[in-house]
Order: sequence, then C-alpha cells, then structure tokens
Amino acid sequence: MNETLSSVPIRKEWDIVGARQTGRNWAKDLGFGSVDQARIATAISELARNIYLYAKVGEINFERLDSVPSIGLKITARDQGPGIKEVSKVMKDGYSTSGGLGAGLPGVKRLMDEFDIESTDAGTVVTVIKWTRI
Amino acid sequence: MSMKAQLINNKQEILEQWLEEVENKELMHYSKTISEDLIGRTNNELIDTIFIALENETGANDELQQFAEKIVNLGWPIGYITEGMQVFRSVSIKTILEKNSDANKDYFLNVMDEVNQIVDPIKTYLINQYSTNWDNIVSLQKLALEELSAPLIPVMDDITVMPLVGTIDTDRAKLIMENLLSGIVKHRTDVVLIDITGVPVVDTMVAHHIIQAAEAVRLLGATCILVGIRPEIAQTIVNLGIDLSNFPTKSSLSKGFQTALQMTDKHIISSNKDGQNLEQIMEAIEKE
Amino acid sequence: MRIPILKLHDYLLVSIQVELDDQSAMEFQEDLLKKIHNSGATGVVIDLTSVEVIDSFIAKVLGDVVSMADLMGAKVVFTGVQPAVSMTLIELGIYLKEVPTALDLEQGLIKLRQELEEK
Repeated sequence: MNETLSSVPIRKEWDIVGARQTGRNWAKDLGFGSVDQARIATAISELARNIYLYAKVGEINFERLDSVPSIGLKITARDQGPGIKEVSKVMKDGYSTSGGLGAGLPGVKRLMDEFDIESTDAGTVVTVIKWTRI
Repeated sequence: MSMKAQLINNKQEILEQWLEEVENKELMHYSKTISEDLIGRTNNELIDTIFIALENETGANDELQQFAEKIVNLGWPIGYITEGMQVFRSVSIKTILEKNSDANKDYFLNVMDEVNQIVDPIKTYLINQYSTNWDNIVSLQKLALEELSAPLIPVMDDITVMPLVGTIDTDRAKLIMENLLSGIVKHRTDVVLIDITGVPVVDTMVAHHIIQAAEAVRLLGATCILVGIRPEIAQTIVNLGIDLSNFPTKSSLSKGFQTALQMTDKHIISSNKDGQNLEQIMEAIEKE
Repeated sequence: MRIPILKLHDYLLVSIQVELDDQSAMEFQEDLLKKIHNSGATGVVIDLTSVEVIDSFIAKVLGDVVSMADLMGAKVVFTGVQPAVSMTLIELGIYLKEVPTALDLEQGLIKLRQELEEK
C-alpha cells in the first residue's frame, strides 16, 4: 500500500536544502535511525541538485510504502529536462559533467536500498527506496 | 451423508490404511534419527488428532493445538506432516469412492473438493505453527547476533578495542560501522584497534567493509589499527590483491596496542622499582 | 547568511552552525580565503559538529578549501565530523583523503601545531 506524503518543487538552489529537510523529517517520522536519516537526506540532496543543475525545474515526491516487516520511504525525483544520454556512464564512479566529484548517482545507489532510473529526451525519473531495518 | 460423516463412519478402515501406507512410504527415512517406537506413537497421535478435528465442528481445537506444540517442540521434520496429510487425503478419497460404486465424474470431483476442504485447514494450521516457531527463532537469533555484534571496549584514555567475531555480511558491517563511529565520538578515542582474530574468512567484501570503516574513522579524526591478522588471512588478502597499505596492520592485539601507545605518546612503566627483576623474568621466559 | 570566521593568534576558527546550501558554501570559501590573505593565518580549524548533511557538492567545496588554503600557506583541519555524516560520505565514495581531521577543536589545534612544526 502506498501513501503519498508530500511533494517538493525544485526551482531554485535553496529548494535543495528544503527538499532534504523535508525528506529527513519524513524519515524520522517513519522511524529511521539517525544514520539512515543522514543517508536519505544526502541522497535527496544529490537528486535535487541534479534536477537544479541539468533540468532547472522539477520535483521530489515522497511516498510511504507499507510492507511487512519494514516500512519504506520512496523518493521520486522527476524533471522534464534534456535527459541523460548515457545512463550507464553516469552510473560509473568518478564520471562528472559538472566538475563535481562524480559521486552523485552511483553514490545515491549505494546510500539507498533500491534504485531505478529512466531517462528520455523528455525528462528523467529517478526512483529510490529505503527500508527501515527490522 | 456428508463426506465428513462418511469419513468418520469409516474411521477404522481409513486409520488402518493410513498407518499401512505411511509405513510403506518409508516416511520412515527419518527413522535413522528417530526411534521406530516414537514414530509409531506419533503416527497414532497424528491420525487421532485428525479425527478429533473432524468430529469437532469448530475445526481447530485443543488437541490439534497440543499436537502441533508437541511436534514443533520435538523438532519433528515438517516433511512428515505434509506427507502424512497427503496420504490421509488420498486414503480418504479412495475409501469414499470405493463405498460409492455408482460414482460418476461429478461425484468424484465433489469428493475431491470436500476432502480438500477438510484436510487443508488442518494441514495449514500445522504448517503455520511450524513457520511461526521458525520466525520466532530467526528473530531471536538475529537479536542475539546483533547484541554480540560489535562491542567497543575502552582500554584506556584515547585507546579502544573492537573485537570482531564471526562472519561479516553487509548488514552486520553497517551495524559495526555505526557502533564504531558513535563509540569513537562518545569515548573521544584517538586510536581504535579492530581485532579480526575471530573473523573466519576475509574476502574482498569483508576487506572492503573494513577499509570503509577505517576511512570513516579517519574522517572523524581518529586512527584505526587492524590487528589479529593470522597467516592464512594475510595470504588471502594478498592473493586477492586487496590493498591494506593505507592503514597500519599488526599480527596481534598486543603488538597493535604497543603501536597505539606510541601514537598517543604513552608508555607503560612497571611499578616494580627493581627493574632488574622484570628483565630477569623476561629472560627466563625467553629461554624457555 | 555569512559564516563567522574568528581569529585566534595565528589561527582562524570556524564553526559551521547553519545548514549549508551551495550558495553559502561558496561564499564561505571566498570569505575564508580572503581572511587567510588579510590575516596571514597559518592554520585553520573548521568545526563541523552541527553539520548534518554533507553531499558531494559540499564535500567538493570543503575539499577545495583545503587545497586552496594550502596554496596560500595555511593548513586546514576539520573537526567534529558526525558519525552519520562520515558513513554517508564513505558510502557516497567520497574519502577526502587529503583532508586532515581531528575529533574536536582541542585535538584540531594540537594537530595543526604538529603539522606546522613538521614543515
């Protein structure tokens, strides 16, 4: 059973901070430990920054997944930007087009439990899930 | 006459056939570990329990519950239950069909259906009892493992030891890392000795986790020393091409501890003023 | 929102108490380098005790500060990195190998003195 918690639009730089604070609060509400809260907040920060840098505008969605025996926090980062041409390349450590550390997406994958990316020239959707530990 | 009533009426016949078939089935390959006498008694109890459940309108009852508790506690193989119930199903269907010589296809299907409705709830109940029991055991063991997982022991100001025991998987590695880091901040530790004497296998995955832990410790501003590296572990680490050159390693906890003392500018001074004595003892030990 | 930079003898002390966004991180980088230039400080301690999230961008800005300050002749030590932050950085694949660290401000000052003596 999925329940939509909230949605944060990403339009300006400060929204990155807003999105990760929202995500951290949801994580706390769902019962994640402090380290998982940091993982989730950091992953959101990376996803929101990607939206801001490459698509300018987009949104981050938060959903609660009720499952047995854990609860999941599903985060969907969606934009209508130009898309990622070579998905396999951006999933490699150290690849960067922005002059960053190139840790972004592969790092997000390591921080979360589930990771999925779909990118076309009409936009990109990255979906990640973190489950509470039993 | 309902199927249930037919089964109960033919109780003696079904019972005999069931016992015979169950014995023929060599269900009894379990008999290597369980005495034949006990198997015989359990067979009788199972078939009795089934009939009590049949005669009882409400289905699940005290007898069934007691029987389930008993076999689960005995650790009786679950295969025995599934096979036993399977045999009961086929014996029941056979018996009813034999008693009704005019049986046609519809009647046959009807028998199948009703017998299933009688047998399945009992079978499901018994299997659920097993799985609940297993779930309990698994979660208890998981808890026990977590408690054992990673104690951080402050030895003196600035130096702590974390002994690792047992196999390390990804979940445990994360837990260990969390304990390690929060412990370092809590005890304000400069040097932490990670002792892997009790880790049976160090493969690339385990080594990777240990390296990550050491890097995370460094980010906090403390240092890791990896100790307890047995010869075979050293061999696998090198053979796998794992690079541990970035942080100090020592073969034993005591050697690592000496390094930790140096790093924190500490010395151990014997309180025995007659230093010679100690030297003599040390010499005597070495001669042996 | 500027991050205050305090001067103590030859050292600069910074405690980051706000949630770092990209803008304030960049401003901080600029401010710190200017302050190093103006004061001639030889060491900087940056305390991160109150920082809850460091993502790859902030990590890059902080790592760059170390290299830039080094070019200007000042050693930087980070202190008070939170366990959760440290684990998250490692999982992201960010090791900040060139960055000196210490447990707290006191240890940080000791470390700075050691590093400067070694020179």
